[in-house]
Amino acid sequence: MLEITAGKSALRLSRPVIGASGAFGFASEYSKLIDLSLLGALVTNPISLRPRRAAHSTRVVPLDGGVLIHTGLPNSGIHKMHRQYAAKWRASPIPIIMHLIGSADDLAECAIFLDQQSEVAAIELGINDTLTAREVRAVVATVRARTQLPLLAKLPLYQAVNVAAAAVDGGANALVIAAPPRGTARDPLSGQLVGGRLYGTWLKPLVLRLVGQLAMRLDVPLIGCGGVHHPDDVRDFLEAGARAIQLDSVVWARPEMVTAIAQAFSVGELTRMAGALADEWRAIGEPAERRTQLLLAPPPPSMPSPPEI
Amino acid sequence: MQQGQAIIERIRRISAGVQRLELAVEKPHQAISGGQFFLARTDSAYGPYLREAWLPIAVRENVVIVERPTRYAYLPNQVIDLLGPIGRPFPLRSSARTLLLIAYEATPAIFLLMLQSALARQCAATLVLIGQARRYPFEALPPALEVTLAEYHERWAEREQQIAWADQIFAAAPPPYDIPAYLRLLEDVQRIRQAIGPETLYGVFQPPMPCGIGACQACLVRLQSGDEMLACIDGLAFDLTRVNLLQNLPNSPGA
Repeated sequence: MLEITAGKSALRLSRPVIGASGAFGFASEYSKLIDLSLLGALVTNPISLRPRRAAHSTRVVPLDGGVLIHTGLPNSGIHKMHRQYAAKWRASPIPIIMHLIGSADDLAECAIFLDQQSEVAAIELGINDTLTAREVRAVVATVRARTQLPLLAKLPLYQAVNVAAAAVDGGANALVIAAPPRGTARDPLSGQLVGGRLYGTWLKPLVLRLVGQLAMRLDVPLIGCGGVHHPDDVRDFLEAGARAIQLDSVVWARPEMVTAIAQAFSVGELTRMAGALADEWRAIGEPAERRTQLLLAPPPPSMPSPPEI
Repeated sequence: MQQGQAIIERIRRISAGVQRLELAVEKPHQAISGGQFFLARTDSAYGPYLREAWLPIAVRENVVIVERPTRYAYLPNQVIDLLGPIGRPFPLRSSARTLLLIAYEATPAIFLLMLQSALARQCAATLVLIGQARRYPFEALPPALEVTLAEYHERWAEREQQIAWADQIFAAAPPPYDIPAYLRLLEDVQRIRQAIGPETLYGVFQPPMPCGIGACQACLVRLQSGDEMLACIDGLAFDLTRVNLLQNLPNSPGA
């Protein structure tokens, strides 16, 4: 059981597997395919203070092993969204975390509103990737001052190392590492270059290293997000120092893997595959710092090279 | 909507570019109607990462037949992972007696399952194959279907009469959609019929659908009312008089 506390309120996750923002919808969309009660929590798609419309240009570019998506983060604003989904959130078998986007003022207004509601167990702030560390601290502190709910900050991949400490200083109770990075790809249909968020299997090594680095520096729960497609990916994140992980695009590509991943962590135990190296076994019982050193260390010189094929 | 497995029982090449796969499917996937589709994955790896839209053209007990381009290779007994049925059936009115189906530069396969039920209830249907669509092996189409070939959108025999008489008109274009073609059709139908009643003129919208379940919101279609509808939930056919066609143009400045 992972508990993320903020004063008297707490977000309790029965399993270290969370449905990520942008992938699972606003509530129970995936309940037709997945037993959502197997997850530890569900993060809603991004919600803003005011309505946002869908992007008008190309929204999806398929890539090798992944996809680029630019939706425009459409939603009808927090008040209408709350009216539309409150009953579903109340009926949810798992805690609902609302992912908020917008300016500091907008986020503050959303936080005040959510503090008066009971359906949402925590807030996840989408930290804009143009913000400096000082601005991130100010944004998080602004929201922190207006809500008693646990506050998660979802950091941009490329800025996470620079702004993570600032988010914690501002009052974040946990960090989500990381938001899908932005990329550019050529749309095969229109022939144009388009920008958007990147999802795919190849994100995992990038995010895993980042989690390892931040786990050494910060004493705050880290939630890994990016490229998780298999139970072994979760083990790697937990070993690197994450306390939980978020699943995103795997639910589109292979919904059945969400169940497999969640069930693999149903008892909250970190297990290793048969044949794991002795160092890996030992590392599991050691402090995060030691684990991370193992993870980030270069291979010893005596390690034999893999056979050439 | 269910996730399940299908097995390719038979592969039949009907032309140089088109093959038909006979899939043995599980019970929930047998209940698919014209206009609905599957999101399919052919292997357990992640290439391609997103599922492909597979359009059924016929259903026979536990067998669903889909059409695929021949540039994709399949094998008998190959297991396919299917998600579906996705979307709403084409809104075929029970009172409709004459149908006009238009395929702009695209395979008419998307109409074939709906045609099965329409022809069974004695609807008269005309299929217009325009441009590249003329290369479709129309000998594989139902004999009761009247087929017209046209080089350009504006030119085919009896075009004005067919537009005037059709109880319902459905148009399809290569995915995701062809807004200029739909705009021309809308203008023509308005000019010829003076007024277009509800549930009369539909265009098929097939944007890429990462999730197929309404979660990712990548397939929203903008309406005149300012609302947005999900192609994977409310599509694939949308009433062209309700869609804000200009705002669905890629990179439209007014959007």
